[in-house]
Amino acid sequence: MEFRDYYQTLGVTRTATADEIKKVYRRLARKYHPDVSKELNAEAKFKEVQEAYEVLKDPEKRAAYDQLGSGAKSGQDFRPPPDWASGFEFRGGPQRQSGPGADAQFSDFFSSLFGGAGGFSQPGEGAHRGGRDHHARVDIDLEEAFSGGARTLSLQRPQQTADGRTETRSHEVKVTIPAGLTDGQQLRLAGQGEPAQGNGRAGDLYLEVHIRPHALYQLDGRDVTVTLPIAPWEAALGASVTVPTLGGEVQMRIPEQARTGQKLRLRGRGLPGDPPGDEYLQLSIALPPADSPKARAFYEQMSREFAFNPRANLGG
Amino acid sequence: MTTVTGTFEAQVSADGEWLSVTQVCRASQIDFDVVIELAELGLVSPRGTEPQQWQLPARELARLRTAARLMRDLGVNVTGAALAVELLEARRDLERRLRVLERCVQADGDDNDRLLR
Repeated sequence: MEFRDYYQTLGVTRTATADEIKKVYRRLARKYHPDVSKELNAEAKFKEVQEAYEVLKDPEKRAAYDQLGSGAKSGQDFRPPPDWASGFEFRGGPQRQSGPGADAQFSDFFSSLFGGAGGFSQPGEGAHRGGRDHHARVDIDLEEAFSGGARTLSLQRPQQTADGRTETRSHEVKVTIPAGLTDGQQLRLAGQGEPAQGNGRAGDLYLEVHIRPHALYQLDGRDVTVTLPIAPWEAALGASVTVPTLGGEVQMRIPEQARTGQKLRLRGRGLPGDPPGDEYLQLSIALPPADSPKARAFYEQMSREFAFNPRANLGG
Repeated sequence: MTTVTGTFEAQVSADGEWLSVTQVCRASQIDFDVVIELAELGLVSPRGTEPQQWQLPARELARLRTAARLMRDLGVNVTGAALAVELLEARRDLERRLRVLERCVQADGDDNDRLLR
């Protein structure tokens, strides 16, 4: 197990006051909070910061940690001494429910010193305790959202061992995904969360569905948008073209005088539902390259014969 | 160690699932009073008259869980959390729309940089 230098994580000295630690924590938490941060590895970084603060904000834990950590360096191999924490009393016992929420999973280093990672054990409660709700994120492809289907999910689930430590176990759940799920939708699987202790009620498992970005389709609720390149003559004269939809290719009519950026709608061709979504085709006029004498001659002829000033609105 | 626990069918009704306020409090780890406050601020849209009987759309659970994390981890109050969640959603929406437009512009001409030289 690697030693963790919590002072280094927060970037404070060993003599930092409680107030300084709190200020630094707030700044780092704001910077790396996975819900708001755009930083790389924000989530991992946030957990480190949270774990360090969990120890350093608490005078008893900090004192115990200081006594043990004076000679050790971050990343060094580490075993807690056998008489670890003798003479220190952690409020509420080593497995108290504290700052981090039920999702927080601290390092082995933390749990070897201070017990369970917090959140999965509540000391002092009776033997009949309801299980907690669990949450998991499921990433599916747009095609899967369109057609539905069976999926086997492998969920990492924290579980308490006989000696009071928390370890992660893998747990498989087979789910039938209904057709027409949208991004951000929640599926509730009753009773599939944390098992109850004694006669309590098992928690529920919530799956938050995320639809992976697609190379072709942009998703907005149940609607999808595709950028459709068209030739200048198709835009000018109108045309019948083949376009992709989630349910397969269809023929569509491009109206005369079509413009770049114009959106055409195929009703009901988005994700299924009540009502189903639509597919939008955003037109983009593609120019043929002037890469041969013949093509150049065409463009030269156009320039002579069209009285066309595309910059008329610029006052040019 | 992998435990295979069987097959579960996830059912979703046409207009999305609704959760009782008790389920929502459990799942988001937000106190009942705070859910009421967040509803008053318009972050969630419960149906039903008495708060004890409220039902909330399941898809709003994600908002509540984000609000709960922001309050717990960053020390923001209820109003601040509601504001942050709305702004984060607005940012995501703008980023999505920007991606659509960028794609359209890209299809239009990848050579723009070359022309500027």
